[in-house]
Amino acid sequence: MKARANIFIRNLVRLSAWTALARAGLLAMALGSAAPASAADSDGLTLEQRVKAAFLYQFAGYVEWPPMTFAQPGAPVTIGVVGAAPLAAELAHVAAGRSVGGRPVTVRRIRPGESLAGVHILFIGRDESARVGQIARNALPQSILTVTETDGALDLGSMINFIVVDRRVRFEVALDSAERGGLKLSSRLLSVARQVRTGTP
Amino acid sequence: MLSAIARSIRHKLALVVLATTLAALLVTGVSLVIYDLRAYREAGLDDLAAQADIVGRASAPALAFDDPKAAGEYLGLLGAKPAIAAAAIYSAKGKLFASYTRKNLDLQLPSLPEPDVARVDGASLVIFRRVVENNEILGTVYMKADYQVIGRLADYLGIFGAVTLFSLLVGLGVFAWLQRALTAPLLNIAGVTRQVVERKDFSVRAQRTTQDEIGDLADAFNAMLAEIGRRSEALEQSNRFLEREMAERQRADAELRRLNEELERRVAERTSQLEAANKELEGFSYSVSHDLRAPLRAVVGFSKMLIEDHAGQIDAEAQRKVGVIQSEAQRMGMLIDDLLAFSRLGRKEMSSADIDMTGLARSTFEGLRAQHEGAAPEFRLDTLPRARGDRVLIGQVWANLLSNALKFSAKRDTPLIEVNAVTDEKDHIFFVRDNGAGFDPRYQSKLFGVFQRLHHSSDFPGTGVGLALVQRIVVRHGGRVWADGKPGEGATFYFSLPRGAPHGNA
Repeated sequence: MKARANIFIRNLVRLSAWTALARAGLLAMALGSAAPASAADSDGLTLEQRVKAAFLYQFAGYVEWPPMTFAQPGAPVTIGVVGAAPLAAELAHVAAGRSVGGRPVTVRRIRPGESLAGVHILFIGRDESARVGQIARNALPQSILTVTETDGALDLGSMINFIVVDRRVRFEVALDSAERGGLKLSSRLLSVARQVRTGTP
Repeated sequence: MLSAIARSIRHKLALVVLATTLAALLVTGVSLVIYDLRAYREAGLDDLAAQADIVGRASAPALAFDDPKAAGEYLGLLGAKPAIAAAAIYSAKGKLFASYTRKNLDLQLPSLPEPDVARVDGASLVIFRRVVENNEILGTVYMKADYQVIGRLADYLGIFGAVTLFSLLVGLGVFAWLQRALTAPLLNIAGVTRQVVERKDFSVRAQRTTQDEIGDLADAFNAMLAEIGRRSEALEQSNRFLEREMAERQRADAELRRLNEELERRVAERTSQLEAANKELEGFSYSVSHDLRAPLRAVVGFSKMLIEDHAGQIDAEAQRKVGVIQSEAQRMGMLIDDLLAFSRLGRKEMSSADIDMTGLARSTFEGLRAQHEGAAPEFRLDTLPRARGDRVLIGQVWANLLSNALKFSAKRDTPLIEVNAVTDEKDHIFFVRDNGAGFDPRYQSKLFGVFQRLHHSSDFPGTGVGLALVQRIVVRHGGRVWADGKPGEGATFYFSLPRGAPHGNA
């Protein structure tokens, strides 16, 4: 893994056009495209988690929140993370200094029982799988995009759920849930979704 | 072909029209082709850039969410656009993420993406376009499309050739229609020129059909023709006049020649008649003279016998009368002798010899003086030039002239006879001068006639043949005789002989 990272660094150096801003995203994709999902990095973070962190950040660009969600045009997009502590840390690292659609991205750890006010995207880690239904229900009226990594989470009210297919991180989308939450997901996002659920079966 | 163009103004005009058309078409065509190929390239690159942007935008989520399959599906849609030969998406890292290649095309895709660039690469347009979302480079789109510039150029050349051909044909048609207005008047003038040259007819005129320079040319040409016509007519007239004059002159010449010939013929005729008559006359006078001598001798002889034999029977008066008969008969005999000498001279052959004129004149004078009665005259003889002639005849001339001088000066108290000569370019002129009776110059013309006498024979005896004989001899020698004198003051008789020239014939 280290060797691959080194190659990546060398490539970075060679392609001088690449900016430092691109670094995290590239890292995520580089790892996501080839690394085994379960392999762990030196700091305890798995490649799968790195990719998911990158994806989480990317989702912000393909979601349209209700008009009243943001107080002002330049207000930040806040990603809330329930559980999955390493991923939250990685996400904070990735999102630092970045913006999506002219908005900076901030990351907030959500502890059990903590208010979801001001959160736009909420990731519920595998370790909090049991609470997915409850949290999703809480989040729904607040127009929060809920993202999970638990099989069958879409049935529990989650809008986007990470899955691993052929050792790649993919995701499925519950368009009906998003609509209920007043969110519009870009068709471009849907085009890369593994599966899109549009209504009650 | 070239010589045909050089000969005919029509071909030259056609060439001008066609060349102009061709040049205009060439300039237009080349400009259009250059412009269009440029536009084609720009449009192709713009189009490809737009395609790349669309692909990039569409494949951005696939890149963002690491979904090569979805990206491949997007690229597969490019199959609807056959001009695109290949397309590829590279990840931000530079790895090939997804690719598309037109069917049946074996193409090596670039192993690494390049920065944003759009260029022509041989027969292809190539573009690299970065995919950027939220200020992040997600990857690069690569596209390669056909760039059929050669084909397009070939199409253009084909169209251009066809248009050119058609334009030239139309141009030729228009020219054929218009050139009549331009060349017809010129050809008209050229035709008239040919007519003038071939037929020498200056009365033809070129027709003025236009109001342009060719019309002016026709007018000028006509004026020139008129002038030439006038001049040639004047020339012909003058030639005719000259010919007439010449003919007249020739006729006059011929007439003159004819008259001359006629005259010569008549002169010759007359001359021969005269010669014949002269001969006849000479013969007649000779025979008459000769025949007269016999009866005369009888008259003289018998009258002499009458006096000698019958002196006693006739009285003195009768004897005197017989004496008169005798003397008159003797005079007649002298006359006849002179006449015979004169007529003989016409028939006698002349000899030619160098004569010592001084000696001849002296000896002749001495002979005459011996017979002369009366006072001896003073005789002055200068040295005379020598001359050529018949010695006997010239001696006769001297004898006659000197005897005349003796005779006519005899009555002077101191008779003087002077003989001398002068020489001019052609002749020696001899003269005999005396201080005798002289003569009246009015009768000079009669001096040298036969039987012409200026003095009565009783004053100066003579037959009247002497000077005629002198004249005849001198003329036969090619000279002439003349005289001057006054009554009572003497006379001078001249005769000339040619210097050294052979004697003529009289």
